[in-house]
Amino acid sequence: MKAVLFSLLAACGTGAVGGGETTALPAHQTRMLDTTPKERRRMVPPEVYLRAYLAWFGGLVPLDVQNRARPKGLFDAWDDYLSALGLPDYKTDLPRQNQSNTLMLATLGRLGEALCVRAAEHDLHGGKTPLEQRVVFAFEMPAANAGPEAAFAERFDVLHRTFLGYPVKLAPGDRAERFHALYKDVAARHASVKGPLTADETGWVAVCTALIEHPEAELY
Amino acid sequence: MRWIMLLTLVFASDSGATHEIADYRYFRSLSIDLAGRPPTRDELAAYDKADFALDAWIEAHLTGPAYAERLRRIYMDALRLEIGGSFQYVPNPVMLRRQQVAGPDGTPIWIYFRRGQRRVDAARDGDFCLTQDETGQQFPTNAVATGTAKPVAQAVLDARTIVVKPWWLYADYRDSMPEDFVAPDWAKRYPGFTPAPALLSEPDGKTTSRAVRVCREEAQTADSGAVYVSGRAGMKKGDPLPGGRMSQPPGDSGFAKNAKGRAVSCLSGTGFSSSIECGCGIGLERCLPNAGPQNEAQAFVIPARTPLGTALPFEANPSPPAAWVRMWWGEEAARFLDSLFSADRDFREVLTSHASSVNGPLAQFYKFLAGASCCGPGADAGYSEPDPLFDPAAVPQALTPEDTATWMPVADRGPHASGILTMPVFLTKYGSRRARAHVLYNAFLCKDFIADSVKLSPSNDPDLTKRAGCSSCHQTLEPMAAYFTRVQESDWTWLPASIFPMTPKPEAKCTGPKPSGLCKQIYDQAFDKLRGAYASPAHAETGPNGLAQDLVTAPEFAPCVVQNVSESLLGRSLAPEDEAWKTQLVKVFVEGGYRMKALVRAIVKSPRYRAGNDHT
Repeated sequence: MKAVLFSLLAACGTGAVGGGETTALPAHQTRMLDTTPKERRRMVPPEVYLRAYLAWFGGLVPLDVQNRARPKGLFDAWDDYLSALGLPDYKTDLPRQNQSNTLMLATLGRLGEALCVRAAEHDLHGGKTPLEQRVVFAFEMPAANAGPEAAFAERFDVLHRTFLGYPVKLAPGDRAERFHALYKDVAARHASVKGPLTADETGWVAVCTALIEHPEAELY
Repeated sequence: MRWIMLLTLVFASDSGATHEIADYRYFRSLSIDLAGRPPTRDELAAYDKADFALDAWIEAHLTGPAYAERLRRIYMDALRLEIGGSFQYVPNPVMLRRQQVAGPDGTPIWIYFRRGQRRVDAARDGDFCLTQDETGQQFPTNAVATGTAKPVAQAVLDARTIVVKPWWLYADYRDSMPEDFVAPDWAKRYPGFTPAPALLSEPDGKTTSRAVRVCREEAQTADSGAVYVSGRAGMKKGDPLPGGRMSQPPGDSGFAKNAKGRAVSCLSGTGFSSSIECGCGIGLERCLPNAGPQNEAQAFVIPARTPLGTALPFEANPSPPAAWVRMWWGEEAARFLDSLFSADRDFREVLTSHASSVNGPLAQFYKFLAGASCCGPGADAGYSEPDPLFDPAAVPQALTPEDTATWMPVADRGPHASGILTMPVFLTKYGSRRARAHVLYNAFLCKDFIADSVKLSPSNDPDLTKRAGCSSCHQTLEPMAAYFTRVQESDWTWLPASIFPMTPKPEAKCTGPKPSGLCKQIYDQAFDKLRGAYASPAHAETGPNGLAQDLVTAPEFAPCVVQNVSESLLGRSLAPEDEAWKTQLVKVFVEGGYRMKALVRAIVKSPRYRAGNDHT
């Protein structure tokens, strides 16, 4: 305490503070405070996600989805994923998870990828499935490699509506352009790769996967 | 206030063709919450049209299975009404087990039996119906036979056993000549009913089982039997066990001695344990099969993961019959909640209703199996005919045990029935009286018990409403728990006042150093009252019906419903600034006759619900 007093006195003893001219405080901008309630967006309930997922997978029952996806290595078993989706387990009193975590996001990503690959095989590959029977990629493939941006945007809008529920033209930022870049990049990387899907189809799978993993798809 | 009304009008009015991103997000939220899935592309196309009527869309979706499931999730999350394997349901009266013996030609065969089945012969009474002399084997409790099997003589086999076409193999098992054998088309007729492969084949694993061989006493079909007294002298430790059996035969209970020859219901546990005339009924319909001698052997292939309901399983495994029963207990509660929501009934019925609905497995349970846990030591007080929570006479007669698909309403389960409070899933999930009271306090009054921070001092005061450190919670909890005094813990057996008065009769022998079994189980010596009743004998007498009335008339009930539903739909806890809105919603809910539709409508049309999505 003494040391504090001493240091204060020493500070005061350096001489009197001289008077100065007063100046008006500079004007500052007035900004309205936004007091409207801001909410944290809700997680889409896993039950809703699963029901939508089954519909996108072609309206199959869960065990059929597993049987269809497993041999192709798209999928392991539902049991490996369900716990990670945040579902409650009433039998063991495990509560519903209302916040995401990394395991949950990884699971959603894995499921989304399986769906998009399977949908591309069904809807796009070989062009055999009539348009009205296409569940996810409900459009004709563009003729050229990457296609002009407008052609991409038109088809991208179909996927955007499917997974996010609104037209891409209303999306914030330059979403269509960024997804077009992704599509072109993935298609280019797979141009010389022999696989079950063509390079263009693989590009669309990447777009589909990125959309279904988009935060807006998992929140509401 | 005026601008809030204006906003409400704007948001509630039908949309035009030019939607903002917030409009689409609102529509997606509505679809997720009311239709149970995101909007399809076709629905979005319809939404884009100028003549799309959003109010009408909302109104059309405030009903139906997806809407009911959304609301059910709120209360299932709170009550968690499903039972796992931790609650073992293996009552001897209903569990048919099987042992493998060598048939007359040396071929292995299954013989089905009940552990505890009364038989005249001391070598078989309460045990397997074939002896070591006849089979070369011994039959330990709940384990496979030991020893070297020798062929059982045909005459012995015919004398001790009989071939039956059981309910799990024949849908028309009640006919004199059953023919409707389990077949692939049963998957459509009785979805979810799949006997485990082990029940469908003989011991060679190849031959299809078209009937089962069962001990003769188990195949009996009488509704009642006479109380049997063996008259055998009690065995002492070390005495040789008759017929090579591995445990002592049952002795004569006090009840049996007092009630010798009296008729007793074969649907009660007392009938099973005290009569040699009680069996599993026609087609063995009063029993559940086990593909083995142990507790919880396989019986049915049962959905293990059902986030979208039992009709859409994500996994299915061969499981014991207990899992089958537990699953349908849970399904009864889920259906009950769904019917409240989809028909927009008064939500107070969740606690007060006498109604329910049942399918084949539940009909079998309430008609034939539920009484098996009655009446234990209560028989000594004269309780041998169960006074049920669900009157078996109210069960629709047309349902067969495998009929999973047909759900029939039951308008009145009986005078003791009270919403979910008297359903087996609730009574076994929350086995103790206090656990039952606690979860209801939490789910329907939105209150919890938080202990005082007082210094705990040693105490042996049995009255927890007075004991320091306990009293702050137990002053409320004990009187609530007392409502369940007359429903046995971890069970659904009702203790009628005519047989079990609040204060024990002298013949119950509750005084003295060695109180009777009846006294120890039913009465609490510390208070000289029925166990659990000490804090409020009056509550004990009104039972779950009384608790239901207390809960739904409590001032916290309606605000708690509003809180549960609005927090679930908003995806956040209500904050102090929501208080006025909450009060308004309570008014809507109460004035709407405690029906959910008015409440949900008010929430989803509110700016708060829309604002739940205002982040980009």
